[in-house]
Amino acid sequence: MEARLPAFVRHLFPTFAGAPLGPALTWSLRALARRRPGLFDRLGDFAGERYFIDPVDLAFAFVVVPDGERASVRVTDKQGGGDCGVTIRGPILSLLALLDGSQDGDALFFNRVIAISGRTEAVLALRNAIEDAELTPADLIGLSGTPGRLADAGILGGLDVARRFALAAAAPAPEERRS
Amino acid sequence: MSGPARMEARMELVCPAGTPATLRAAVEAGADAVYCGFRDETNARNFPGLNFSGEELAEGVRFAHGHGTKVLVAINTFARVGEVDRWRKAADTAVACGADAIIAGDIAVLDHVATNHRDSVRLHLSVQAAASTPEAIRFYAETFGVRRVVIPRVLSVPEITALNKAIDVETEAFVYGGLCVMVEGRCYLSSYATGKSPNLNGVCSPPEAVSYDEDDKGMAARLSGFTIDRYAPGEPTGYPTLCKGRFNAGGKTSYLFEEPVSLNAGSLIEGLKKAGVTALKIEGRQRGKGYVSEVVRAFRRAVDAVEAGGDAVEIDRILAGQSEGGRQTAGAYRKIWR
Amino acid sequence: MNAPAPTPRLTLGPVLFHWPAERLADFYRRIADEAPVERVHVGEVVCGKRMPFSDPCWPDVIERLERAGKEVVLATLALPATVRERRSIAELCGDDRMVEVNDITALPARSGRPFVTGPFLNVYNEATARFLAAKGARTICPPVELSLAAIGGMAAACPEVGFELFAFGRLPLAISGRCYHARLHGLHKDSCQFTCEQDPDGLAVDTLDNQAFLAINGVQTLSNQVQAFCPEPRVLAAHKVARLRLSPHTCDMVAVAEAYRALLDGRKEPAAVRAALSALDLPGEMVEGYAHARPGWMTEAAID
Repeated sequence: MEARLPAFVRHLFPTFAGAPLGPALTWSLRALARRRPGLFDRLGDFAGERYFIDPVDLAFAFVVVPDGERASVRVTDKQGGGDCGVTIRGPILSLLALLDGSQDGDALFFNRVIAISGRTEAVLALRNAIEDAELTPADLIGLSGTPGRLADAGILGGLDVARRFALAAAAPAPEERRS
Repeated sequence: MSGPARMEARMELVCPAGTPATLRAAVEAGADAVYCGFRDETNARNFPGLNFSGEELAEGVRFAHGHGTKVLVAINTFARVGEVDRWRKAADTAVACGADAIIAGDIAVLDHVATNHRDSVRLHLSVQAAASTPEAIRFYAETFGVRRVVIPRVLSVPEITALNKAIDVETEAFVYGGLCVMVEGRCYLSSYATGKSPNLNGVCSPPEAVSYDEDDKGMAARLSGFTIDRYAPGEPTGYPTLCKGRFNAGGKTSYLFEEPVSLNAGSLIEGLKKAGVTALKIEGRQRGKGYVSEVVRAFRRAVDAVEAGGDAVEIDRILAGQSEGGRQTAGAYRKIWR
Repeated sequence: MNAPAPTPRLTLGPVLFHWPAERLADFYRRIADEAPVERVHVGEVVCGKRMPFSDPCWPDVIERLERAGKEVVLATLALPATVRERRSIAELCGDDRMVEVNDITALPARSGRPFVTGPFLNVYNEATARFLAAKGARTICPPVELSLAAIGGMAAACPEVGFELFAFGRLPLAISGRCYHARLHGLHKDSCQFTCEQDPDGLAVDTLDNQAFLAINGVQTLSNQVQAFCPEPRVLAAHKVARLRLSPHTCDMVAVAEAYRALLDGRKEPAAVRAALSALDLPGEMVEGYAHARPGWMTEAAID
């Protein structure tokens, strides 16, 4: 179930904080909160929590505050989680799989594919809110209708290809595979 | 005798729904019934971000009934002193939403439903009531009109067979998911360590008391500072549920109460049917859509195979990856477990 | 002015551990002669397999206690399973003495006649308490995880019942179909060799970091720490607590009863009672978190 990005894919991603990824993701999250206001209700008091999301196979990390229309996403370096109550660490493809619900967070955690530290209850609240949201890539980039469906098909298809690439790339290294 | 009649009926597959999305996933994966609870302390899976508002439940019932699936609402914690009305209102709301049954364990809740809603909703006895003898089950059936008992996970298949011969109500048995090794509803280990417990708060080993601490020896999983287990780097972990921890006792270090395993009675479906069990229950309202879809689909196939007179398909292997610690047990259903 | 609340009474709970018959006989002989308790619960609660060993000693123990003026309560099993165990409950429920109900199994057999509910029966609120009172409950000792405030709330709403607070002893926290003494010794429950007899106060269970935590007693799990809740009499009166339960251990239980008697009579301050208890050979640290609606393991010092 674990899939790590092969090196050549990793190089396709931006390599440093400062790329305009943060503002774009912040805008997406706030737009999502405007379109589906009930979605963030499940977070309750944890909406104001600072989540340090650290994709281990990327050169940067995120600080996410999922506070509805005041939500923010900041791209930061790997040491940027100092003031966060929660850290979630794992391969980017697994983290994305949690977002679209294609993989189960508990199973990924029990098998040590993703690691968490800090306020466990905040992780659980976020996990459960995301689960129920049934997010698609189009939700996150603010598309609807036909463009949204095309975006979903394209991005999910792309992710699926990336996962297969990653699994194939990992296959020759059995010592890294886990049950 | 009600035994032979029960044998002819199809067994009901009862599946968990922690959120509306999971409810839809369970229904679409082939659940005969789903069970869920309100987003508060009235149900025994009171985790942050989980469960249903009244509106969500009403919508969930509409969706489920549209697919021929029943909805059972768990109001299965013990009402707090001076606040019993909150539990009674939860039952009233469940009835108003069109729930097919209420699952309760507290006498206060059972009494309220039996007195006010006897004709509009079925009453199922929660496993939290830990009724495991014919005398106890008959008491709940005669006093409150309980129609089904969720049987405690301490009985073996022969004991369930004997029990079903002695009672006139349906039984529901857990077949998959988390496994309580202590008698449910009578375990205060969690509140001893953390102040919160299944009976009082609807949580066991609550997440706010959990910490995973990395040190030079690997990772320690702690509950309110009590070390429940340690893991070497890369070793599969579990949630620090008290009864699945590793402890020192009598000069030995061991999983004294139970290994970090999940229940999987998939191979015992036929045995449970012969034992007179009416419904098979999958644990896991705290688990996600992916988990629920996969487990429900696998059990749907297995139950259908048994109902068609064939063997249960080999589902242990399919589901191994979903388990805590990756390992499974048939638990108390096989007497050797004790 | 309200009439002063009656002084709470002392109850000696049932012995939860597997003590040999001679030890039980000696223990109760001394309790009968010396312990200032009004009520004594006798009988096996934890494991039906122990009953053949202890059963023969009860007639003499009961006779001796009653001769000494103690009210004897017959305790019943918390987790009856076999036909023999269920029959023992039915027989005990037929007795003219008071009976302690620890599982709903006993309720139909005892309904309509007076009984005590033990800490293994789930009584969490006034509605449940009133329901049981109507069936014959006279004393209710709620589950150990309930706070003094919660018990007080039930007592205020249900004055027809006397509420009993678990004040002293390792806290009974869980019961299982599985025997942990047998499991630890690599034995099957059906051929357990009664290894639980080796641990007359339970066997300590520590964490991997050697923190004292729990204790096992066959199919039962208790706290490692010892509940030693020593409230001022006016606090008990304010919460309408009718009785304090002392749970037997191998330490000097007469001294424990004397210390609590002095507390209830206003002859000793809580601090002095705690000091007296701590001088005894207790199996663990003294705690009282549950009474304050905190985690059960918390000590008096940690709470304030």
